[in-house]
Amino acid sequence: MKVAASLAVMLIALLCSNAGILNSVEAAKQNETDSDLQARIDQAKAGDIITLASGEYEGPLTISKPLTLEAEPGAEVTIANKSEQPAVTVASHDVTLTGFRINDAAMKEQPSILINRSQSFRLANLEIETGSYGIRMADSNQGEIRNTLIEWAGERADAPVKLSEKGNGIDLYQSHDNVLEGNTIIAMHDGIYMENSDRNTVAANRFERLRYGVHCMYTVGTVIRDNAGEYNITGAMIMAVREVEVSSNRFAKQNENVNSQGILLFDAESSVIRDNVTEGNRVGLYVEQSARNTITGNRVIGNYIGLQLLKAEDNQITDNLFVGNVVQAEAKQSVRNELSANYWDAFQGIDTDGDGGSDIRYAISPFFQSVVKAKPAFQLFFQAPSFQFLEQLFQSDKEAWTKDAEPLMAPSGATAVQAAGEDHGLSMAVSIMLLCAAVAILIKTGVKK
Amino acid sequence: MRHLIQVAARETRLGFRNPWAYSFMALFALFMLGLLLINAQGYVQGYSGTTGTLLNLSVYLLPLMALLLGSFSLATEKEEGSWELLSVYPLSTASFIVGKYGGLALVLIVIVSVGFGLSGLIGSLAGASFGFQTYVQLLVFSVSVSLLYLAVAMLVGTIAKNRWQALTIGVSIWFFTVIGWAPILLAALGFLPYPLIKPVLSVLTLLNPAELARLFTVVKLGGGSIMGPEYYEWMLWVKRPTGTIAYIAAVTVWIGAAVGASQLIWERRRSRG
Repeated sequence: MKVAASLAVMLIALLCSNAGILNSVEAAKQNETDSDLQARIDQAKAGDIITLASGEYEGPLTISKPLTLEAEPGAEVTIANKSEQPAVTVASHDVTLTGFRINDAAMKEQPSILINRSQSFRLANLEIETGSYGIRMADSNQGEIRNTLIEWAGERADAPVKLSEKGNGIDLYQSHDNVLEGNTIIAMHDGIYMENSDRNTVAANRFERLRYGVHCMYTVGTVIRDNAGEYNITGAMIMAVREVEVSSNRFAKQNENVNSQGILLFDAESSVIRDNVTEGNRVGLYVEQSARNTITGNRVIGNYIGLQLLKAEDNQITDNLFVGNVVQAEAKQSVRNELSANYWDAFQGIDTDGDGGSDIRYAISPFFQSVVKAKPAFQLFFQAPSFQFLEQLFQSDKEAWTKDAEPLMAPSGATAVQAAGEDHGLSMAVSIMLLCAAVAILIKTGVKK
Repeated sequence: MRHLIQVAARETRLGFRNPWAYSFMALFALFMLGLLLINAQGYVQGYSGTTGTLLNLSVYLLPLMALLLGSFSLATEKEEGSWELLSVYPLSTASFIVGKYGGLALVLIVIVSVGFGLSGLIGSLAGASFGFQTYVQLLVFSVSVSLLYLAVAMLVGTIAKNRWQALTIGVSIWFFTVIGWAPILLAALGFLPYPLIKPVLSVLTLLNPAELARLFTVVKLGGGSIMGPEYYEWMLWVKRPTGTIAYIAAVTVWIGAAVGASQLIWERRRSRG
């Protein structure tokens, strides 16, 4: 109470002393509240809680002792930053930031929130509008970022901002054991980028219009669970990882870019990809140069290519559902993978012993991949009837093809594609009109009088 | 113009008295419906397994149908002597050829409409309804591929002396453009230095009506990215409204050139008796 009272007195004193000097009282207030905020932070003792009333505060702020910075319940608090520095720099353990908005649209090097060498920090319910990185964490462990919205706000007068000029939503470097949960990240470069960072949990986040939703580089033990992504170039980019879990995520409509995928594994080992839904992407599941992974229970629906294996070895791919993909699978130079009990809707099996699995194997043709690998220009033949014809003629060396040993005869669970967006009633109306018109013409011209 | 309309009306009447038209109609409608119901995943939208299959069915069936109906119609005129009769009247060759094209085009459009109407209606009732944009896109594809091949058929019917020749030439063109296209080009273009493959393939694609229409449709359904980085700029361009305008222009030029050429050849033969 004493601290608050003395602060109030200080504030009034400062206001009074400066009001005459500055022309605008508004500007004065403005200036004073923020210098006040950094001052309040500097004067606070470790473990204090600083509560912010509604209003705009100016950054940059630096927090170098454990404390809590939170908005009053129901207050509209904005921290605006026009400097080249981070809007908020966290350089201490046990710092909590909750409930306010950060307006930091200037395009610059420094992130909007920098968390440097911190432990056990907690960020929640923030709204970050950034022209750089949203939150960058370096050497920071056991922290939490929850329910935070990070959205790109940078603009340039002369030209639209390129994807490569944007920063990542949440960027981890050598930061371990953090929990990133319930965040929404929109229109940044990568949603969550983890480099040399182990055992982080990425759960229930939303990713939209990013380059990659989740991007792992050199990570061990990352858990990516219950996230959803749409309209990104790739949903989950899992590269150079060990023992990562990717489960129950949903990645849809990632099909605009020539490199789009739902989930991509590259140089991934001993990881588990389980119960995900990839729908309407260019490639549903893309596995390259990855070994000893378990891919099971995924629903791969309505992608241009369902499963693509390139130089993938010793993976276990079982009990997945492949429905409505233009090409259900392509596999090239992939050996010793164990494929079994997947459901492939375009494969007609025979089940004589009635165990629900086909007695004939489903062999995945490497032909298209081989052709376009040598000469990418021929990619124009994708699913041309003439190419399919040729593909069927090439059955040589079939023993070396990747095969599902016992594909399922019937899908387990629902196969209906969920996403809708086009009007279905209208096409029914048009089909009735077409029929009527056709019949009318037939009667008028064709029937002998 | 009056002559042209008369020829077209006669052609449509004859077309619908031709049992071939009905067998093609039944075949197309049955296949459309069959594939739709086999692949039924609740809805048909964008570039997916179902639309890809329907697209390829149309690429197989419609060109053959247009080639046979069109070239036979012209070859029959010669075989049965009705052209000899017509040619003594003051009927211009242009009215005759364009009229025949128009009449047959209507026949083909009716066939396609019945196929689409039935599959759209029954599909909706059976729980495999089309998304509107996808439906229209596939319809546009089927109509345009029919009209393109009908123009080629006019040329075939003009060159062929009788129905037998028309059948041979028509099926050859169908086989070359629909079935043999990729095998032949893969073999032939493999000899070219790599930087030449893409431009040559692009130009050749414009010359093959089946591929032209198929690729346009795949891109419009959203599948352009599957053609890879080599064609990415093109695909973006085609996806915009400019692509639609360019496609309409290309189809018009194609039809105009083929029908124009058959009119010229027909006229030459007429004047030399």
